[in-house]
Amino acid sequence: MFFLTEIEHRLRLPPKLLDRPLEDAIKGELESIFLDKVIAKTGLCVSMYDIKSIDGGFVLPVEGAPTYTVVFRMVMFRPYVGEIIAAKLKNSNKKGLQLSLGFFDDIYIPAFALPDPSHIEPHDDDPKQVKWVWTYNDLELSYDDENVIRFQVTSVDYPPIPLEQEEGSKPFAPMVVTGLLNSDGLGPISWWV
Amino acid sequence: MKILKINAGLLTNFEVLDLLRSRGASKDPTRAMSLLKLSEFKVYDYLVESAACDQTRESINDFIANFKEYQLPKAELINIINNRPSSAVELAPIIEALEQRNWNDDTLDEMAELIVQVLPPRPDQKNMDEEGTAEDNGAQATDENNTAQVAAEDNKQVSDGDNGEEEMDDS
Repeated sequence: MFFLTEIEHRLRLPPKLLDRPLEDAIKGELESIFLDKVIAKTGLCVSMYDIKSIDGGFVLPVEGAPTYTVVFRMVMFRPYVGEIIAAKLKNSNKKGLQLSLGFFDDIYIPAFALPDPSHIEPHDDDPKQVKWVWTYNDLELSYDDENVIRFQVTSVDYPPIPLEQEEGSKPFAPMVVTGLLNSDGLGPISWWV
Repeated sequence: MKILKINAGLLTNFEVLDLLRSRGASKDPTRAMSLLKLSEFKVYDYLVESAACDQTRESINDFIANFKEYQLPKAELINIINNRPSSAVELAPIIEALEQRNWNDDTLDEMAELIVQVLPPRPDQKNMDEEGTAEDNGAQATDENNTAQVAAEDNKQVSDGDNGEEEMDDS
């Protein structure tokens, strides 16, 4: 789920930060550049781990600030295929479920990956939402907002950035995790224990 | 930006939680004082509700030592640590190609028992335990009273001891 990734980055340090210790200033700049962003095929940047080296510090012509080459390690959130992750329900509609980890919301369980046989019932409070129910023998098992749901990752996609976005469409998601629930031991933990 | 090593190491949830704690993450509501960014706090909030919350380096080392005999790959070990499955059915989806391993029917149960022994329970499992042992809680409460008394006695002794020292000093 979490990996370390070693990254090299050239950054220009604004002069206003030069009164602070160099490492702190660079760390702050890198955090504002990378944190909570997705790097394609690498994952979501969670936290700075350490800075391995800082080189340079030259002031290039026509620039009013020093440029540094920094090698650092970043904690990345990058689920791998087959991994089991605990998440909470965020949305459910006819196409399936959307789960959330709190810091990452683009997890989708398509309807065909729900346990068989599942069917839709109207949601009690919210007419926009639906309730998915799994019929197991005579039991009616539904997903609620409180319980932790465990899913298995089937794919992690990094869609290309769209050039144009239609008005009113969903915000662009740079990393999309798709999962399944139709296997023993998956779904809300209370189903199994 | 250049990615030098995409995979420079695999971390358990506990290690990430430990890192965030070392930077000052806590349940304290005065978060403005901390050095962490909002997104890091979201990760912390997720991890502190997960199985990682009570784990320690020792318990994870114990777990790895105990699980050597099953020869699981590293990714599966970490997945077990992160999820702390407490029964065979929870464990089954984590183990890949279960049918191809030459295990008896009881191996998964053995593993689940071992996990329950070695790794501390998840927050949701803790609640279940408490419901199950509501009577024990009553007993514990009386125990606490007793310990309070004992502590009070200890204090007395300590204060006596202090007096003794002062007398020594005087002499």
